[in-house]
Amino acid sequence: MNWRAELLAAWAVVVRNALMGMRNVFFFFELLFWPIVGVLSIGLMTRFLGLTAEQASFVLVGTLALSVINVCQLEVAYAMLLDVWSKSVKHQFMAPIGVRHLTTGAWLVGMVRGFVIFVLLSALGAWAFDFHVLAPGVGPAAVFLFGCFLTAWIVGVAVCALITLFGSRAEAFAWASVNLVLVLAGIYYPVSVLPGPVAVVAEAIPLTYFLDAYRAHFGFPSAFPAPITTGLLLSAVYAVLAHWAFRAAVERARQTGLLLKMSE
Amino acid sequence: MPPAVATGLAIDAREVTKTFRSGWLRRRETAALRGVSLAVERGAIFGLLGPNGAGKTTLLSILATLLVPDGGVARVLGLDVARDANALRRRLNMASGRPSFLWSLRVDEIIAFYGRLYGLSGRRLRRRVDALIEQYELGSHRRAQYSELSTGLKQRVALAKALVNDPELLFLDEPTLGLDPDVSVRVRRHIADLRREQGMTIVLTTHYMREADELCDEIGFIKGGRILAHGTPDALKRQIGLGDVVALRLEPRPAWLGEMSGVLRCTEADGWIECTVDDAEKRVPELLRALLAEGVEIRNLQVREPELEEVFVELAR
Repeated sequence: MNWRAELLAAWAVVVRNALMGMRNVFFFFELLFWPIVGVLSIGLMTRFLGLTAEQASFVLVGTLALSVINVCQLEVAYAMLLDVWSKSVKHQFMAPIGVRHLTTGAWLVGMVRGFVIFVLLSALGAWAFDFHVLAPGVGPAAVFLFGCFLTAWIVGVAVCALITLFGSRAEAFAWASVNLVLVLAGIYYPVSVLPGPVAVVAEAIPLTYFLDAYRAHFGFPSAFPAPITTGLLLSAVYAVLAHWAFRAAVERARQTGLLLKMSE
Repeated sequence: MPPAVATGLAIDAREVTKTFRSGWLRRRETAALRGVSLAVERGAIFGLLGPNGAGKTTLLSILATLLVPDGGVARVLGLDVARDANALRRRLNMASGRPSFLWSLRVDEIIAFYGRLYGLSGRRLRRRVDALIEQYELGSHRRAQYSELSTGLKQRVALAKALVNDPELLFLDEPTLGLDPDVSVRVRRHIADLRREQGMTIVLTTHYMREADELCDEIGFIKGGRILAHGTPDALKRQIGLGDVVALRLEPRPAWLGEMSGVLRCTEADGWIECTVDDAEKRVPELLRALLAEGVEIRNLQVREPELEEVFVELAR
């Protein structure tokens, strides 16, 4: 493996996504507007409902996860979406690159954007609602953030696979899929409140464990043994599966001609 | 077992087939290629002509590794397009008519993005981007976003992008489609220069017969997913048996011209009589002798080969 070529191909995607992001009028809304609106509205709701500081932190952790994962996941999906929208898919796949370069490059940009949001919302949470993300320490916060990034990566790559398989018809997945994951992973509630069969599905989602591990530091005992290890292992499995699916979808698109159709 | 690679061939395709399938409930099948065989010499400009839906873009896309063939063997630069696609991609590139790139990226950013994908970086990348921008006279537009460019400029960006990896084989899918005549002339000049100066093999599809006639060493005529004719433009004209055209201005107009031996047909327009003959070298002296013998005044005479367009019309029929 030529590491220089590997890094360069991923870097090409980093530069491209970063430039496109900076010139995107929705960038402001994605980066600032919606996340801030989310934290403010949920934070105010916790006040209205008279939740304890621990309960408010529990809910705000979910809001933070939602914002970070949403932005990071969209950026990964942009690895395909940008080319689909600009009808330049064939040029990307005529070049000697693999799906790993696309997903890694886009993920790196997504993590930067996600980190910016995390910092902004943490500051807002501390100022407005006395919610301190670093209260459990830098380590747990970093693991939680990394867990959000991993979840976003997996969902984003899966969205890329679906778009490559079904064309622009699958675009809705880019916006919808992450919300489904968040609902199942217990964004504002412990997964124990989910109906039986759904709770089983929740236990197969890595984010469930990262939320559980982080919330344990806010006075909610962990429902799982070794949640971080479980979350990381599940993430590794899903990351491999999602990349395999994306690669298989590209190969299928080369068979069906969809790669060309998405360039017309 | 794949067939032996012919040395000196940039493309060696044998019996390539491709069928597109669509529809979930009611499956529809469209045979795009039905056993196409093609050989293109290294350093040649090869033109792929044919009516809409003939299979030109499908064939080009298979050779460019964008599509996987259903059957047959296609070797490009000695590599199998299905098995060795990744290695092959480093050595190919493509530009299409009506190009499309990321709308917000600037001209130099687009070229640099693809340059990085092909392994260029640092000073080498900057030099390559600068050289291509200069070559395609994009200097005054290098900081313009792609969406702000005219059709002609977009086409020049597409050509610059297609050369970023200095490909051994370049595919051009209707490179002058929709361009103003003066821009088309410049693009054609660039294409000819690429072969002359760099020995690049170029395969192009076009609807413009003049372009094919002017640029291509060889032409393949494809229709219904099959190559119907293949050869140099001149050979194709002969192969189709269109003959040569002898245009005459005569006084008076003899009625017997069309009945002479070797004259295939005669038509009259704007004072000119155009006779299509099987072989001008043989028939013109015979015609002249017969006309002089009858006392017909020959005011003007022109001999020309049939246009490639006529070959196209004949084959597309």
